[in-house]
Amino acid sequence: MRTVLELAVRSLLNRRATALLTVLSIACAVVLLLGVERLRHESRESFTSTLSGTDLIVGARSSPVHLLLYSVFHVGNATNNLSWESYRAIAQRPEVAWTIPLSLGDTHGGFRVLGTGPEFFEHFRFGTGRALELRSGQALSGPRDAVLGAEVAAKLRYRLGERIVVAHGAGDVSFSLHRQHPFVVAGILRHTGTPVDRTVLVRLDGMDAMHQPPAARSDVDPLDAALAARRGAAPPSTAPRAHHHETRHAAAPGPQASTDGHSAHGAITAFLVGLKSRPAVLSMQRQINEYRAEPLTAILPAATLPELWEIVGAVEKALFGVSVLVTAVGLTGMLVALLTSLNERRREMAVLRSVGARPTHVFALIVGEAAVLTLTGVAIGIALLYAGLAIGQPWLEARMGLFVPIGWPSMREAGLAALVAVAGIIIGLLPGYRMYRQSLADGMTIRV
Amino acid sequence: MTGSGREHHPPPVVDLHGLRFAWRATDRDLLRIDALRVPAGEHIFLRGASGSGKSTLLSLLAGVLVPDRGRILLLGHDLTTLSGTGRDRMRADHVGFIFQMFNLIPYLSVMENVVLPCGFSPRRRARALAHGGSVRAEATRLLGALDMADPALLSRPVTRLSVGQQQRVAAARALIGAPELVVADEPTSALDADRRDAFVDLLFRECRRAGSALVFVSHDAALAPMFDRTIELADINHADGADEAGR
Ligand SMILES: Nc1ncnc2c1ncn2[C@@H]1O[C@H](COP(=O)(O)OP(=O)(O)OP(=O)(O)O)[C@@H](O)[C@H]1O
Ligand SMILES: [Mg+2]
Repeated sequence: MRTVLELAVRSLLNRRATALLTVLSIACAVVLLLGVERLRHESRESFTSTLSGTDLIVGARSSPVHLLLYSVFHVGNATNNLSWESYRAIAQRPEVAWTIPLSLGDTHGGFRVLGTGPEFFEHFRFGTGRALELRSGQALSGPRDAVLGAEVAAKLRYRLGERIVVAHGAGDVSFSLHRQHPFVVAGILRHTGTPVDRTVLVRLDGMDAMHQPPAARSDVDPLDAALAARRGAAPPSTAPRAHHHETRHAAAPGPQASTDGHSAHGAITAFLVGLKSRPAVLSMQRQINEYRAEPLTAILPAATLPELWEIVGAVEKALFGVSVLVTAVGLTGMLVALLTSLNERRREMAVLRSVGARPTHVFALIVGEAAVLTLTGVAIGIALLYAGLAIGQPWLEARMGLFVPIGWPSMREAGLAALVAVAGIIIGLLPGYRMYRQSLADGMTIRV
Repeated sequence: MTGSGREHHPPPVVDLHGLRFAWRATDRDLLRIDALRVPAGEHIFLRGASGSGKSTLLSLLAGVLVPDRGRILLLGHDLTTLSGTGRDRMRADHVGFIFQMFNLIPYLSVMENVVLPCGFSPRRRARALAHGGSVRAEATRLLGALDMADPALLSRPVTRLSVGQQQRVAAARALIGAPELVVADEPTSALDADRRDAFVDLLFRECRRAGSALVFVSHDAALAPMFDRTIELADINHADGADEAGR
């Protein structure tokens, strides 16, 4: 059999132009197949780990996917807000370890502005439990502070200390600008690969202040004004603490409340909940869904994220289907090349028979050629894929926010590569069998 | 009944009885040969008209074809009772072939073509080793004996060799590992008279050295006197299905 394999290799080298084309088409198919598979896997990973450690997301009554879309991905808008009272009531439950309020609705330069509190920096986790990290500056400490996601800072080329004006409502062009209440860039986050990169973070009280009608602004909170003055940030006249919303919590905001952002606020869009013990999550979800004072919906991100991926990931499934087809085309090309070579190789087979080759050797020779072609193709494909990943990794991370690690192939990738190799060898059985039959019939005589 | 009186002699290389062969069951017999015997080391000239079935007979002797009736003993082994694999092994071990032309595998070098049978037959490999020290050394020796020692020739792709050179490479391949039977199917028909005689001389010398019997097919009667024996296929073939042209 060693002789036969040597013959297969020599024969292919003799037809190296065709062989090279076949190998390259298989290699390209493998690059596409494994590349799509890896991107699919990584985008699924990055998608489903947009949040980690959050047990529940709570918003006004809506469908789970909708709630997830607007609260985490900032896609679409909440149909209803939920009241500060409900938020505090749930946040103070004994099972709850932490909560993060989220208030959405404004934009800056096409990016969403998220009103939240210091809890966001403390408790928000993504990926494999990573916390947010500041690339420069500091976290939200005053009502005029804004912290920018990595992409926002990169795209809008903002530096620390810069003043930004927030527009009301979503969309790039907004006619209602909150000019009276500019924010100051206090910090810039490191890249996360999550929607946080495309978000401007501000404090809830800052957001509330911004939404005040000018008339209410004369009522200046002395404490906040003093704080702002001390930090030398904004003029005290534009740092109001009092609020005009009816939904405002009645409880008096103490000095502690005003610094940690837990003072009474207007309605919020949603909030994230971390529980003290995981097993409590289902009963907690049920309790929130049955909350009397207000219709609420609580979802488990760990369950709803994959559900949403099923919808969003359809494109990637189609892409995968296309790459499977390309692989099939590559292998068919090999089949055609092998089949067309058979007739001109009848004499070669007769000579081999005369020196003692059995018909099974002839069969093995052709199948061996198919095997050498596909295995070389798969090997070159894998090499090209890794070269491509090494070159494309920074780009993918910078442009798509997708970090594709260069590690060993996953089980699934190895399985796909093996599948291509096996398919190639199985495809080789057909011309192999044809040649086998031909060789039996021809024996050592060949008519051309 | 085969060599019953002379057990101390080696069995004949070929011993064939009551052979009948037709290409298709519905065809008339192409070959009907009562007996043919090729003793070890004998050089036989097999003559016959075109289409008379010479090549077919050689395929039968080599076990590539199976007769419809009769027995073909190759070195005492009945090919007709062996499996296909068994016949292929007998051929690999004991028979060397030279065809009329296109003998060589185009993508192998001269050397690789010559040593090819050793890849399929451990027995011939062992014999080549015993004789030349290494398979390549034996191949080099054979090529040298057949006037193909020039290194420039050896490094050339086989497709760029002249027909006469190709035939000598084929002869070296047929002879490597000293098979008991060398079968040559019109190996000289593409050569001019001088080249032909030189080729046959070299072939004889090497067959003698290896102790191989030679069955040499040709319709070129001029060669006949050089052989131990000449067989007219028409004389031994009693089939009426063979082409009548040569009679
Ligand atoms: N594979 C085959 N299938 C059917 N018939 C065949 C086959 N090979 C040969 N024949 C027929 O058998 C007959 C003998 O053919 P063969 O090749 O043995 O003749 P030959 O004596 O070697 O002739 P030549 O001197 O021209 O080589 C011819 O009539 C040929 O048509
Ligand atoms: Mg013939």
